Parts: sequence; C-alpha cells; structure tokens
Amino acid sequence: MMNRYLKWIVWIVIVASLVLCPIFCGMYFTNVVVTFAIFALFAVSYNLLLGFVGLFSFGHAMYFGAGAYATALALAHIEGCPLLLSLLIGILGSLALALLLIPIVARLSHSAFAMIHLAFSMLLYVLALKLRNITGGEDGIGGFPIPSLGIPGVFSLDMTDFTTFYYFAMIVIGISLWVAWFITKTPFGQVMVSIRENTMRVGYMGFKVTHSKAVAYALSACFAGIAGSIYALFNDLVSADCLHIGYSFAPILMTMVGGVGTFLGPIFGSAIFAVIEEITVRYTERVELVNGIILIVVIMYFPYGFMGMIGLIKRKILEKQLAAAAAEGRS
Amino acid sequence: MNILETKGLYHDFKGLEVLFDVNIEVSAGERHAIIGPNGAGKTTLFNVITGTYEPSRGSVYFKGKNVTKADSQAMVRLGMGRSFQITSTFGRLTAFQNIRMGILSRKGIRFNMFQKVDKMEDVTRETDEILKRINLYNERNFPANTLSYGKHRSLEISMALATDPDLVMLDEPTAGMSKDETHYAVELIRRLTEGKTAVIIEHDMDVVFSLADRITVLHMGAVLASGPPNEIRENQAVKDAYLGDMEENDASRSQ
Repeated sequence: MMNRYLKWIVWIVIVASLVLCPIFCGMYFTNVVVTFAIFALFAVSYNLLLGFVGLFSFGHAMYFGAGAYATALALAHIEGCPLLLSLLIGILGSLALALLLIPIVARLSHSAFAMIHLAFSMLLYVLALKLRNITGGEDGIGGFPIPSLGIPGVFSLDMTDFTTFYYFAMIVIGISLWVAWFITKTPFGQVMVSIRENTMRVGYMGFKVTHSKAVAYALSACFAGIAGSIYALFNDLVSADCLHIGYSFAPILMTMVGGVGTFLGPIFGSAIFAVIEEITVRYTERVELVNGIILIVVIMYFPYGFMGMIGLIKRKILEKQLAAAAAEGRS
Repeated sequence: MNILETKGLYHDFKGLEVLFDVNIEVSAGERHAIIGPNGAGKTTLFNVITGTYEPSRGSVYFKGKNVTKADSQAMVRLGMGRSFQITSTFGRLTAFQNIRMGILSRKGIRFNMFQKVDKMEDVTRETDEILKRINLYNERNFPANTLSYGKHRSLEISMALATDPDLVMLDEPTAGMSKDETHYAVELIRRLTEGKTAVIIEHDMDVVFSLADRITVLHMGAVLASGPPNEIRENQAVKDAYLGDMEENDASRSQ
C-alpha cells in the first residue's frame, strides 16, 4: 500500500517539475531538458533491441538520422507542411529504412548483426556528406521553417517559442515512451525477451523468430525516428553529424550506464549523462574523457548499470528485513 | 494410424554420416522410446524430425503430411512439442512466464501489442493450472535458472507440453537426475502424456521398460530393432550391441 502511494508521489513530483521547468528554469535549462528527453527516447528505442530482443547494433544513429533528415527535408521542400505531418514523415523515413534493411538483418544476430549496422551507418554517413544537393553535405539542412501547431483559424501555437516547443516535445516524447513501455508489457513484449533468453526455444514454442525480430526492429526504428524528428525541429538544423558513429554509441553508453534490459535504465542513463556533461563543460571541454571513465567504472563494478545497483540495494534491504523477521519469529 | 513416420531418413554433417536409412513408425497414442548407445544419432534424429535440420535424404510425415522441410515453429503449430536434453528454458524469465509462452502460442497470441499480458486472465489461469499440476506453483515467480535441477527439468518437460501438442518428443527427460528425481519425473511424464503420443529418448532402462509401449533401438545411425519391450529385451542383436554392456554403462554413468 505504502509503495503505491510512494509511486504516485514520485510520478506527481516528476510531472510537476517537468511542467514547471520552463517557468522557473529559464531557456537554457529548458533546452537541456529537451535534449535529455530526445536522447532518453533514442536510448529507449535502442534498448528495445539490445535489452529486450538481445540484438546489439553499432548503427542505431541511422534511424535517428533518417527521422531527422526526413523531417528536415519535408519542411524544407513542402510548402506549408504542418508540424504533425513533418513528424509523421520523420517516422515513416525511419520505418522505410528499417523495412529496406530488415530482409538482410532480421536473420542475423550477435557480432554479424552489430557489424553490418556499423557498415550501413557509415555508408549513410558518407552518403549524407556526398549527396550535397539533397542533404547539404557537411553544412546539412538548416533554417527550414518550423510550422506552428494548430487548426487554421481556430488556434495556433508558435513552435519557435522555446516554452511552447518544450511542451510539444515533452508530450510527444512522453507518449512515445509510454507506448514503448506498454509494448514491453504485452504478449509481444514477452516474445521479445524470450528471444533474448533463448532464440532457439522461441521457435520450439511455436513463434516465428525472424518475423518477431523484424517487427521489434521496425518498432525500435520508429521510436528512434521520432527522437530524430524532434531533434531536427528542436535545432532547426540537421547535419551529417547525427549519422555519425558518435550518435550510434550515445544510446549504447546510456543503456549500459542506466541498466540494460530494464525499461527505465536508458532514461536514467540519459539523465546521468546530461547532468555529468552539464557539470564537466564548466571545467573542461573533454567531456568524452569523463564519459569514458564513467563507462569503465560502470562496466567493472556495476555490470547491470544504475538500475542494477538499485535492484541490489533493494535486495539487501529485503534480505535484512527477512532476517529480522526470522529472528523475531524465533525469539 | 501412424502419427509420425520417417521414410529412408539420411543425415550427414558435411560428410560425416549420422543417420542411415532410418524408418520409424509411431502410431497415435503410444509411448515410443528410442534407445541406443552414445553417438547413435538419437538427438540428431530428433533434430531432423522436429525441424532443426533438414535431412539430406528421405522424408518425415506428421499426421499424414509431408513435413520434411518444415521448421521448428511450423512443426509446433501442427501439434508437436519438444523438450531438450540440455535444459533450454528462458533462464531469466520466471517459471510462470516460461509456461505462459506455451499458453500464448497455443491461443495464437503472437503479435498482440494492444493488451497487457498480465491482464489476460484466462492465460494466467491456464498457466497457473499447469504450474499446479507439475508442482511448481510455489516457485511460480522464481527465475527458471534459479530453480533446483529437478524442478528445472520438470519445467523443461512441461514447456514442451504447454502448447498442448498431440505428439511430444522428449529428449532424455531424466538426464542428470537423481534416483528420486527420476522416479518423480517418470510419474510426471506418465501423467502429462496421458492420451497423447510421446517419443522419448532415454538411457535409463528401468524408465524405458516401465514407460514405453514400443522401443526402437538405434545403433551407429541405423535402426537395429523395433518392437514391444519384451521383444527388444530378448533380441540377440540388441543384447550384443547395447543391452549387453548396460551394466558397464550404468557404472560409468554413476561415477
């Protein structure tokens, strides 16, 4: 009972502080929170593959980038493209890329799966640099109009205002995270973790392994696409950077540090990195150095990340309580 | 009627012949044991029948259908279940979740993303029923790989039966069990396979002769003999190849 109240209180505090953030924290911190949320969704989409299906990819930036580029291209080339349509195009861009690759990657696993993603993501990175007349090369696509959200003649919300955009981004990301969480709780979510645990047995329980992997993969791509699309709208700029390997490793780090295979892990991971970066940039530009050290420490001492650490503490407390209860029972 | 039939089955691993012209007939409702010394090709035969491998020659018929090329998933949907010699559960999932996969599969719930699985009351109820029947209800929420060996094996066997198959293929269900555990497992198998057809690979001769209606002896990848237990016990070729050195086998196994 106590636990349930505590849960509600935690949720109310989180939601309230997110709602009040732009009012009290100013533009800079509001934008830090948006960046954190974008990467949290990106990391969660990655964890759907790594933590739930057990597929390790070195190229998830592909889907982040595909979403970002698709949204940017839509806004730059379609006159008066509505906001939600540009978001949808971003998702469809990622989905299209995923459907293109699924026939190749759905049968793979382990290192073959990881390496082929590295290859494809590098290929896309180079393509984005070289196809200048489409992607703008190194400069990327920038300065495209950010449409307002609204029904013409009824109401309209100006998305260039940071507060309005903050609420828009948080709602979209919040809904996406909820949908992703819900999927992990469905029968299909069970199939996903079962594939992670024992792929062969999933087939022997009568499930189509390749098909299930393909569906999970496409879902993961769509969520990464949403993150990329919001990223494009947020920065009003998309460059080849967001296809770079650094963007493929970001969700890996966040998932590892936060806790693989738990739903909240990548979100915590993203928060941890956001906070650490915020602190380190005040003293040094070598943010990666600090991130690297943290990763080493985590892998050496907390292989299950932040969530694993919490689980361990919980178990310790429980054991103590059980021991105390047993002692009481004996006396 | 024969529920399972193999015709002239051959299999080789890149030149290494493992199965030679294996013909097996399993009629509906019987418990059929497959015995043979180590390396006789018993597990390979299972793998070929259940769709892990495709045979290099010959064909497999299940319920009168040619299923030579069917994969494991297709075989299970046609009504076959299989357990493994090396325990092959979903290790970090709970006993409950392991069995539930079979129930979901039987009900055809495979890509449902619109309903929470914990809220599916009929699925939960049926899973709990199975857990009670196999005496695992108290360990319901334990991850499979934390169960005791005997319980883990019971789970392994029951997963093959959770999809409610017409034919179950049990690959050494009592592998590595103590005497008590074996006794319990045999009772469990007897109870759970009531009214079904079962094909069982087994080393323990007591188990084989107490469970099986028919026995097929596999030796060097070929069928040496096939028939009811009494016939097999008296068969000279079987005695020479296998049963004769049974005591020796048992001695080496218990060491």
